[in-house]
Amino acid sequence: MSSTKIFQVRGQLHPRVPVRNHRMINSVVCGVPIISHHRVSNVLSRTSGPSLGYVPTRTNKSPFLRGDCKGRFGRFGGKFVPETLMSCLRDLEDKFNFVLGDHEFQVELTAALRDYVGRETPLYFAELLTQHYKNKARNTGDGPEIYLKREDLSHGGSHKINNALAQAMIARRLGCSGVVAATGAGQHGVATAAACAKLSLECTVFMGTTDIEKQSSNVLSMKLLGARVKSVEGTFQNASSEAIRYWVGNLENTYYLSGTVVGPHPSPVMVREFQSVIEKETRRQANQRWGGKPDVLVACVGSGSNALGLFHEFVGDEDVRLVGVEAAGLGLDSGKHSATLAVGDVGVYHGSMSYLLQDDQGQILRPHSIGVGLEYPGVGPEISFLKESGRAEFHTATDQEAIQACMLLSRLEGIIPALETSHALAFLDKLVPTLRDGAKVVVNCSGRGDKDINTLIQRGMPSSLC
Amino acid sequence: MATSGTASTFRPSISASSRSTHLRSSPFKAPSFNPLPPSRSRSFSVSCTIAKDPTFLMAEAENTKAAGSDPTTWKRPDSFGRFGKFGGKYVPETLMHALSELETAFYSLATDEDFQRELAGILKDYVGRESPLYFAERLTEHYRRENGEGPLIYLKREDLNHTGAHKINNAVAQALLAKRLAGQHGVATATVCARFGLQCIIYMGAQDMERQALNVFRMRLLGAEVRGVHSGTATLKDATSEAIRDWVTNVETTHYILGSVAGPHPYPMMVRDFHAVIGKETRRQAMEKWGGKPDVLVACVGGGSNAMGLFHEFVDDTEVRMIGVEAAGFGLDSGKHAATLTKGDVGVLHGAMSYLLQDDDGQIIEPHSISAGLDYPGVGPEHSFLKDMGRAEYYSVTDEEALEAFKRVSRLEGIIPALETSHALAHLEKLCPTLPDGARVVLNFSGRGDKDVQTAIKYLEV
Repeated sequence: MSSTKIFQVRGQLHPRVPVRNHRMINSVVCGVPIISHHRVSNVLSRTSGPSLGYVPTRTNKSPFLRGDCKGRFGRFGGKFVPETLMSCLRDLEDKFNFVLGDHEFQVELTAALRDYVGRETPLYFAELLTQHYKNKARNTGDGPEIYLKREDLSHGGSHKINNALAQAMIARRLGCSGVVAATGAGQHGVATAAACAKLSLECTVFMGTTDIEKQSSNVLSMKLLGARVKSVEGTFQNASSEAIRYWVGNLENTYYLSGTVVGPHPSPVMVREFQSVIEKETRRQANQRWGGKPDVLVACVGSGSNALGLFHEFVGDEDVRLVGVEAAGLGLDSGKHSATLAVGDVGVYHGSMSYLLQDDQGQILRPHSIGVGLEYPGVGPEISFLKESGRAEFHTATDQEAIQACMLLSRLEGIIPALETSHALAFLDKLVPTLRDGAKVVVNCSGRGDKDINTLIQRGMPSSLC
Repeated sequence: MATSGTASTFRPSISASSRSTHLRSSPFKAPSFNPLPPSRSRSFSVSCTIAKDPTFLMAEAENTKAAGSDPTTWKRPDSFGRFGKFGGKYVPETLMHALSELETAFYSLATDEDFQRELAGILKDYVGRESPLYFAERLTEHYRRENGEGPLIYLKREDLNHTGAHKINNAVAQALLAKRLAGQHGVATATVCARFGLQCIIYMGAQDMERQALNVFRMRLLGAEVRGVHSGTATLKDATSEAIRDWVTNVETTHYILGSVAGPHPYPMMVRDFHAVIGKETRRQAMEKWGGKPDVLVACVGGGSNAMGLFHEFVDDTEVRMIGVEAAGFGLDSGKHAATLTKGDVGVLHGAMSYLLQDDDGQIIEPHSISAGLDYPGVGPEHSFLKDMGRAEYYSVTDEEALEAFKRVSRLEGIIPALETSHALAHLEKLCPTLPDGARVVLNFSGRGDKDVQTAIKYLEV
């Protein structure tokens, strides 16, 4: 970290920095526009990157599972932040490690997850969806069985509350009076606003103007829950940068509540740990249901929080296949997508090293997806690591495929999934024919689709499903 | 929540009787459902000629004797489907057979282990039961008096159910029943029909369709056909009449999923029993949490389904106070409200005798409430009975008070209540100051408010 650059990140930050000034690299992650970090990404490409430290093998489970003490997953992750934030992050890490072992915290969190959030969420056998795929195949044989992990039934309508609640509790223990967050689709914003209301914390949520338009009902909900919603020109990435700036300007009494597994250490690990309740329940429910483990886990991937929430527990179980589905938007060739892992390159963004959508110059590409929550040009470092190590596979689904999948599930099971979740469901079309009979597939139904009704109305209903 | 089983789904509250003695002398000419002019006095007078049947008169006398102050002796309902003088089966001849069949099927399900198991599984894995009994810390603090005393407020989280309200409990059960009979309520019904592969037709007042456009889309997305009703005032009561007309025409092949505890017997009993899981869970959860029963139960009342779902379990526990909260709209004197039990008179609507909002000519008065779910000019007959017996108390809350509560609970607890539920929450303002220290209040948080955010924002300053 270059100490001479500190003054540039404390207080007011410059809105624009010279494009080729590579000395700005280390000030990048506080929300200064990302244009500056292209030098880093050129240096750290996949083929020529320097080793950033110990790369654990798959047999060495502990660091593989948790990241090393510097928050690295292989070469990904880390803490690319200015000096000013280091002590905050250290405090946060200490607090996090403490609460993991603190009985009182765990009891309070468990009770809140049960009574406030409504856990545990069911593992639901989607009989009609399973039948649909069997009929499509037209082969004799049973086909795989599809189960949905019903995170859509959580308070707020998505998995985001698991993390928001736990972190809001930490914020209160740290003595913060306010919380700041950034949100894309609005689900994290709503979850944060709800948790803050419950815990008497002030809440400020930054959201991109484009997203505000598309997810207006979530914006209204946040306001009703008492949060201040600040609009930022652009989308989630811009809102994130602005939220981090705000945090830096209010470090003493404000807690930055990260909604997903990106950002500097300890955010990726913290968020993943708090989402891991999903997978712990799934393991237990699978065991109760059919006396075994799932064969395949499928989840949509924006930054990766719901995916890691489902995958992480099973990373050590090599017989469980992990499948993440990113947003291919209007198609991978169109330039309008959010398929970071499919076509991205490694770089530093928002405090950690991971795959990013960037052009040859290292400029961040603006992502697109009909699932607003997937519209992020980066991805969590742990996800990058799972890809690179080959432990998980990543595919994509287009906007159109997602819409079709949304309508299919609504029609067949009476569950309207979020458009983000619909990406995971869309991939079943390609996945199912490759699976053996009786294979147990668990799809993380990460959110409900009420917030997407307006989008669906605009896009109209395909005549085949009318 | 980590326990595997849910409460047993339902048990009919009276002994099974497959012989229903419906009254052949009904003068009712289908399909008009306007009530005959009621007597102006509040004392009982049956406003149709059924009273002339001596069998009926005897049953009536028995009922009056039985309906003393001990709830355990009350028949809820009796074999005619009456709760005291309320309830019954005021329907055209064409529907009598369908209703008998329904009643028989319903009773047989009580002992059908397969059905019970299937329903329990659906309630658990599809609907997401059991719903938590949540201690509302900040709301409790809000009502704490200066000397530190005050009641403890618990919320029964029906808002966490699939589709966001208690309605799904009844819809899934009736859809399962329909399959066997092979033949926020609209969204819940469309949802379950999708799930069970049944064709679904939903009647909705044209005015309501406008107010709830997003819900209409959701219903269509779930595969239902939504038919707008333009007759009358184009609201719920007209839609109900139209649905019943359709049912009469297609009674062989269609099951009418009634969304509330109104309508002809056996619907009030059935719908109540399907929602009774709420009360059963609450009893168990209360025992786990504080080793006792609730002191006060509070619920909003439109048709009355969520309230009966919570109350039914505790009717015999006379130390448990039961409070229903209706919609006072613009105020009880404005003429624009839906406070049926406060301002209504007894009459027959949609097949049952109950309190109704009606004018001197017996015409139904169009109700008003900011919340569509409470916007019904009638009320379930069992509520009418509980009111007359003094077992439950009924109050009302204006639109404005409901909106205040909507905002207050969102801010204090981070849970956005449905506008319907907000009526119950608003009543806490008047109730809590009167309660002793440590009194435990369980409020049925019947639905989440996502559907109402657009409406509320127009009125609230946020």
